[in-house]
Amino acid sequence: MSTNESVENVQDQIVALLPRLRRFARNLARDPHDADDVVQIAVERALTRLDQWRSDARLDSWLFKIVRNAWIDEVRARGRRAKIFLPEEAGEQVGAALMEREIDRLSTEAALARLPEDQRVAVGLVLVEGLSYKDAADVLEVPIGTLTSRLARGREALQGMLRLPEGEPG
Amino acid sequence: MISDETLMAYADGEADAATRAQVEAAMQEDPEVGRRIARHRALREAMRGVGASVLDELVPERLIAAARGRAPAAGNVVDLSRARDAAIRKGPGFSRGWQPAAMAASLLVGLALGYLGWHGSGALIQANSNGGLVAGAALAEALSTQLSEERSPARAATAGLSFRAKTGDYCRTFALAGAEASSGLACHEAKGWSIKVLAQSPSEGSPTQFRTAGSELSPAIRAAIEGSIEGEPLDHAAEVAARQAGWSAPPAH
Repeated sequence: MSTNESVENVQDQIVALLPRLRRFARNLARDPHDADDVVQIAVERALTRLDQWRSDARLDSWLFKIVRNAWIDEVRARGRRAKIFLPEEAGEQVGAALMEREIDRLSTEAALARLPEDQRVAVGLVLVEGLSYKDAADVLEVPIGTLTSRLARGREALQGMLRLPEGEPG
Repeated sequence: MISDETLMAYADGEADAATRAQVEAAMQEDPEVGRRIARHRALREAMRGVGASVLDELVPERLIAAARGRAPAAGNVVDLSRARDAAIRKGPGFSRGWQPAAMAASLLVGLALGYLGWHGSGALIQANSNGGLVAGAALAEALSTQLSEERSPARAATAGLSFRAKTGDYCRTFALAGAEASSGLACHEAKGWSIKVLAQSPSEGSPTQFRTAGSELSPAIRAAIEGSIEGEPLDHAAEVAARQAGWSAPPAH
């Protein structure tokens, strides 16, 4: 990280990762504007800490961790934890019949959005972002057993919501 | 009985050699083990496409500037979106290429009703007592107050192009962001913004909901515009005037 050239190189890599950082931040923050604010804060923070990134570590995991910490700071600072949980009075206006249909049609994204934050983020890191259990546990700064237990609970809930085809064994 | 967490790790390729051997032996004895693994794999496959539309969105300039260690110049984001919108207006689809096509708006409401299922938030879309769809408070506010040139992808509801319909009503396209991204067309009628078309934004490998709001309208929305537009889309001045008038239909001429 000593030369300008390598700093620019890392900046290029960060720019290339921005779409994934935005996706991950949206999983965390749900609100797209909040998500972009968090990505901006995280990226600015990452640039001041490039010396802390070990170049043998995955840049994406390292940035995910900074994004997550930026989000936690943001939530604490603004004292608006309640805002994370969007009101879910879905279909209040449309009656029970449509509610039933809504569940039938629930998209994978809508189903994921309904998970509690711990599970949602674990599923997001492993199944959406494709991180290994170990990398995901590192991002969340939890033991790997905690990560797998959140992941398993999240998946069980998703299975219940999505009614996926059974698939063939093997 | 092998735990579900073990089977999940096996399905994810995270099991060590000893565990793999154990799972594979259990699979021989009990077909249910294989079925449980298959369920884990099916879910893994299903979740892979989540948020793909976010990957297709234009990354806001302020984030690129931040990643390059540059503070964005004041007004930079606005200027860029203006430039983009100007380009969209000049694009072939939005100049003179529109031919009126006969398409009954009532059919489109029926089409839209089918989509209501994946709209969770009443703030954006609501059903009225006649079975039609109307804009909820947040969408109505976006449609009533946002100008096309102010379009920002950061909002939950974004108003796009505006035009006069043959009925005399003002109509606007809109995009909804988030997990249930979609775009649509609403017209301002006596009782407020009535939704004429609602289309789920295509996800993977397709234009984003924000581009859908302008340059890449879904075919259903495009057809509805073509069938109902009177003249050309509103320019900036006409849009400001329409907003000033509360989007009420001016007297027929």
